[in-house]
Amino acid sequence: MKWYITKRLLWTLVAAWIALSLTFGMLAASPNQGQMQATMSCAAVGEDPEECREDFRERNNLDAPITERYTNYMINMVTLNWGWSESRSQDVIGAILSAWPYTAQYAIPVLLISTVIGYGLGLYSAYKPYTKTDYAASFVSFFGISIPNFWFALILILLLGVPLDIIPTYYNSGVPVQQGWFSLTNFQQLLIPTFVLLTASLAFQMRYCRAQAIEQMNQEFVKVAKAKGASDYRLMIWHVLRMAAVPLSTSLVSRLLAVFWGGSVIIEQIFAIPGLGLLSFTALVEQDTPLILGTTVIGVLLAILGNLVEDLAYVVLDPRIDYGDR
Amino acid sequence: MATDSFENIDWDDQEVSTINVSRTTFVELGLFALLLGAFLYDYLIIQNEGPLVANWDVLSTDWLFIATLITMFFHIVLPLYQNPRMRRFYWNRFKKNQIAVLAGVFLVFIFVVGVVGPIVMDPPEVRFTNRIVPPAGITATIGGATKTGTMAAPLGTDAKGRSILKLVVYGMRVSMQVGLIATTFTVVIGALVGAVAALATAIDVGWLDEVLMRYVDIQAVFPSFLLLLLLVYLFGAQLWIIIMVYSLLSWEGVARTVRGEALQRSSEAYVTAALASGANMMYVVRRHLIPNSANSIIISATVSIPGFILGEAGLAFLGFSDPTVFSWGRTISNGQTNLSQAWWISTIPGIFLFLTVLSFYYVGEALRDAMDPRQQVDSGGGGL
Repeated sequence: MKWYITKRLLWTLVAAWIALSLTFGMLAASPNQGQMQATMSCAAVGEDPEECREDFRERNNLDAPITERYTNYMINMVTLNWGWSESRSQDVIGAILSAWPYTAQYAIPVLLISTVIGYGLGLYSAYKPYTKTDYAASFVSFFGISIPNFWFALILILLLGVPLDIIPTYYNSGVPVQQGWFSLTNFQQLLIPTFVLLTASLAFQMRYCRAQAIEQMNQEFVKVAKAKGASDYRLMIWHVLRMAAVPLSTSLVSRLLAVFWGGSVIIEQIFAIPGLGLLSFTALVEQDTPLILGTTVIGVLLAILGNLVEDLAYVVLDPRIDYGDR
Repeated sequence: MATDSFENIDWDDQEVSTINVSRTTFVELGLFALLLGAFLYDYLIIQNEGPLVANWDVLSTDWLFIATLITMFFHIVLPLYQNPRMRRFYWNRFKKNQIAVLAGVFLVFIFVVGVVGPIVMDPPEVRFTNRIVPPAGITATIGGATKTGTMAAPLGTDAKGRSILKLVVYGMRVSMQVGLIATTFTVVIGALVGAVAALATAIDVGWLDEVLMRYVDIQAVFPSFLLLLLLVYLFGAQLWIIIMVYSLLSWEGVARTVRGEALQRSSEAYVTAALASGANMMYVVRRHLIPNSANSIIISATVSIPGFILGEAGLAFLGFSDPTVFSWGRTISNGQTNLSQAWWISTIPGIFLFLTVLSFYYVGEALRDAMDPRQQVDSGGGGL
C-alpha cells in the first residue's frame, strides 16, 4: 500500500508537469495577444509599431530559443513567480490570494450541503426506485441539471431581488471587510448565488448517488444484510453507501470542480463577487495573459490535487482493491 | 446499431476484408466526398466570398453540421428504418416514458425549426425605431412610455429592436449545431480510443491501454470550461473552433464507457475467431467492438448533448462566444441590463434553452431504460 501511495504521489507530479507543459505549448502556439496589444497601443499614440513589437518581444524574451523559454517558464511556475498582472497592478499570486476567500465563502457551504442532501436524496431514491417519490426526486434533479445557472440567477433576481428589498441583487465586497465574513448582511447577499449553485451541484450529486446505489442494491452482501435483519437505515448507510462511496468519491472532486469553474465564473460575474471566477473573467476581458495563465493553472492544479485525494480515499474505503499491480 | 439477426445477414457483406464497402457505405462515402468537394470549391476557388448555392453562403460551422447530419442519417436513422423489428422493440420500451415522448417531439420541433427557420427567415436586424417592444398583447411601461406589443414582433423586441422570435429561431440552430456536432466528434474519438484500449488489453499490448487511459484520467480532471475560456482567448471566438475544442476536451466519458463495454466483448469467442482468421486490430474494433457497444455509446452521447449546449450558452452569456451567431446565451445576456423593465428579452430564450436541455436529459433517460438490458422497464407510469 505504501508503494501504491508513493506511486500515486509521483503520478500527481507527472500529471502536473504534463498540464503545465500543455499550457506552455498552447501559449507558444497561439498568436500572442500581449504583443498585438502592445503594437496597437503604440500605433495609437503615433510611435513606430514595428519598434514596439521588437521591444515587447525583447522584454518578454520571446526571441530566445523555445527550450530556454520552456525552462524559464517551468522555473517560474515552480518557484511561484507567476508574473505581474498589468490590469490589476499586482502580482498574480497576490491577486489570487486576495480573491480566493470570496469564492470559498460560498463554495464550501455549497459543497457540504449538496453532498449531504444530494447523497441522502439519492439513497432514498435508490431505496425505492420507480415509485412516485423517486419520479418526483428525478424531476427535481433534472430541473437542477437543466436550468442554465445564469438564467436561473436572472430569474431569481427578477422574482425575489427586485420586489423584496432585503435580498440584495449584487454583492457588496465591502461587507466582509467591515462587518466580518460571518455577518448577517454577508449571509443575506450570498443567498441567491449560493442557492443557484446549490441546485446544480445538488442535482448532480443526487443523480450520481442514485445510479451507484442502485448498482449496489442487487449485490449479495445487501441480501445477506437484509436476511440478517439489518434495519433499513443501517442497510442503506452502512452497507450500500459504504460501497457506493468508492465510485462516488472518484468523480466527486472533478464533477464539483466542473460545476464550480463553469458556475463561479458566471455567478461571480452576475453578482459582482470579487472571487477567483471574476478574477479569471476580468483577466480574459482585459487580455491580461499572466493573470489568465495563473487562474487557469490554479484550476488545473486544484483538479489534479483533488484527484489525488480521491485516489487516496479509495485506500480507506474499499479494502478489496488490490494495489499490487497499479 | 447494426444488430444483424440471422435471417437478414447479407453474406456478401461478411467477407473478412478491410476494404469491403457495402452499398450504403458507398453512398455515405460519396456524400462525404461531395461535401469535401463543395467545401474545397468554396474555399479555394471562390475564396468563400459570396454565397455558394443560390442565396446561401455556407459557413464553416454549417459544413461541420452537414457532415454531422450525414453521419447521423447513415448510422442512426437508416439502421432504424431498415430494421423494423428493432425499431418496434425499442419504441415499445421507449414510449412507456410519456414525458420522454413529449420531450422527443419538442426536440424534433426545435431541430426542424432550427434547420429550416434560418433558411426562410431573414436574420434579426437592428432597428432602433423599434426598441424594447413587449410581446403581442402585453402592455408595459418602458422609460416612462407605455407600449403594447403587436403581431409584427410576436415575442417582442430587444434593446436594439431585433425581434425576439427571430433571435430564438436562429438560436435553435446554434444550439442544435453545438450539441450535435460536438457530440458526434466526442463519440467518434471516444469510441475509437475506448475500443482500442480494451482490445490492447485483450491482445496483450497492455502498455497501450495504460497510456490511453492515463491520458483519459488527466483529461477527466481538467476543468474544461476554464480551458475553453483560455483557448477561446488564445485562438479567437469562432463557433466551429469552440465546438472542436469543446469536443476535443470532453470525449473521456465515452472512452471510459466503451472501454468497459468492449473489455467484456473482447474476450468473446468471435473476437478470438476474427483475430485468428487474420483480421487486424482496426477491423475488429470497427466491425465487432464498436457495434456491440452501440447501446452504451448512444446513451452516453444523448446525455452529453445538453452539456455542450449549456456550455456554449454559458460562454455566450459571458461574451466569449462567436459574436456573429445569435446564440441564446448572448440574447439572455443582452437582456440583463433591462431586466426589471423588459423581462421578456432574457426570459423567453431562457425558457427555450431550459426546455431543450431538459428534453435531452429526459430522452437520454428513457433511451437508457429502453436500451440497457439490465434495466427492467415496469409498465406503471414512467416519468412523472
